[in-house]
Amino acid sequence: MIDTFPCDDKDWLVAFLYDELDDAARRQVEDHLRICGACAAEVESLRGVRRELSGWASPDAALGFELRPTEAVSTHAEVVRPARWWSRPAMPAWARAAAAVLVAAAGLGLANLQIRYGAEGLVVTTGWMPAAEVVRPAVSPAAASEEWQSALAALESSLRQEIEAGRQPTARPTTGPGARELDLRRMTDLIEQSERRQQRELAVRLAQFNRDLEVQRRTDLVRINQGMGQFEGRAGAEIQRQRQMIDYIMRVSAPPPR
Amino acid sequence: MAWTDEELVARTVAGDADSFNQLVKRWERPIFALAYRIIGRHEDARDVCQETFLRAFRALPGFKGQAKFSSWLYRITLNLCRDWIRRRKRTPVVAAPEGIDIIELAAEQGPVESIEELVARRRLSEAVADAMQRLPEEQRTAIILKEYHGLTFQEIADLQACPLSTVKTRLYQGLSVLRRDLEALGKTPRPRAERAS
Repeated sequence: MIDTFPCDDKDWLVAFLYDELDDAARRQVEDHLRICGACAAEVESLRGVRRELSGWASPDAALGFELRPTEAVSTHAEVVRPARWWSRPAMPAWARAAAAVLVAAAGLGLANLQIRYGAEGLVVTTGWMPAAEVVRPAVSPAAASEEWQSALAALESSLRQEIEAGRQPTARPTTGPGARELDLRRMTDLIEQSERRQQRELAVRLAQFNRDLEVQRRTDLVRINQGMGQFEGRAGAEIQRQRQMIDYIMRVSAPPPR
Repeated sequence: MAWTDEELVARTVAGDADSFNQLVKRWERPIFALAYRIIGRHEDARDVCQETFLRAFRALPGFKGQAKFSSWLYRITLNLCRDWIRRRKRTPVVAAPEGIDIIELAAEQGPVESIEELVARRRLSEAVADAMQRLPEEQRTAIILKEYHGLTFQEIADLQACPLSTVKTRLYQGLSVLRRDLEALGKTPRPRAERAS
């Protein structure tokens, strides 16, 4: 059989590859491929490339475009993509202002802001803890001395009364089973109070520890993310540089055109 | 009963906007896929897709049916892609811009495909995309239109405004370069004759 196909003419090969030959031409190509190993190998390798190409899928994008004419059907229309949460239409200014006021009010409410104006002047406090005692305005030295002396006299009188009372015999039994039982109950109460206090302290400490641990965990995660981002950026730049270098080497190492 | 493209076009021109939305629904995915494969960027491909339909709608009264509606849409898309590439003034690099997200992979894992298989498939896809992006634009477009949209040589020639033989040459040269690149990555077997020599 006489082979009529020039092997360096690739039009027929491409047409055969994509099945765009009529029956007669296809049979002729098939006959040629049976006797020409090089062409058969080339067809086979290009089929392999096509198989690889079939694995290149485009991403599964959420499209859902829609035409919204601005009038009845006319050329004035817009094709809109489905809205996303970060690309909602902008809010009007009044709505933004109202939202800002609401947020500020909520923030102030949470902070328990209190503003008072009185004898002690303007006092602004925040938070739910009791407000710090206001330092009163200074009084005159003479008045201070008088106040101090009267307080001292009251304290002296109080101490004297207590000492006198201690000298009097008490009605409370100091010996015997009744006194022991009373002491025992008191001791038990003290121990129970102490245990409850310790439990409360332990619970508070544990909660604080958990909070600190969570804060530390979040901080570490942010740091790791930042580190990974920097690393990815550096790796991407390095890959790009390597690729450019390979391209350059391939270009300079290619044989010069004849 | 489903309307043909041409019937929907006629109904749109007559004032039925819903008919155009049916055309959009029918063609948005192929148009997006074409734009994505040519320019290699997800968000930009969405923009091109959106702009394609807007331009098509505006120009619809001038569409006389001398070509298929799909070919006409493809032409608009290719022009927009060409504009985009000119604006970029450099060959876009697709190279898996989103990278491999293991969570996403796990989420899309099918019942029969393991994570390893999925990663291998994704890497192969990236290798192909990368090799495609290195091709000259005309060869890349010809291959995309042929491989992924099933256009005939003649339709591609019409879209690229070149002779039929040029389309075949572009396809052959493009496939040959891809073969070389993929062989270098060990993705496709060498021809038997080459291996024997």
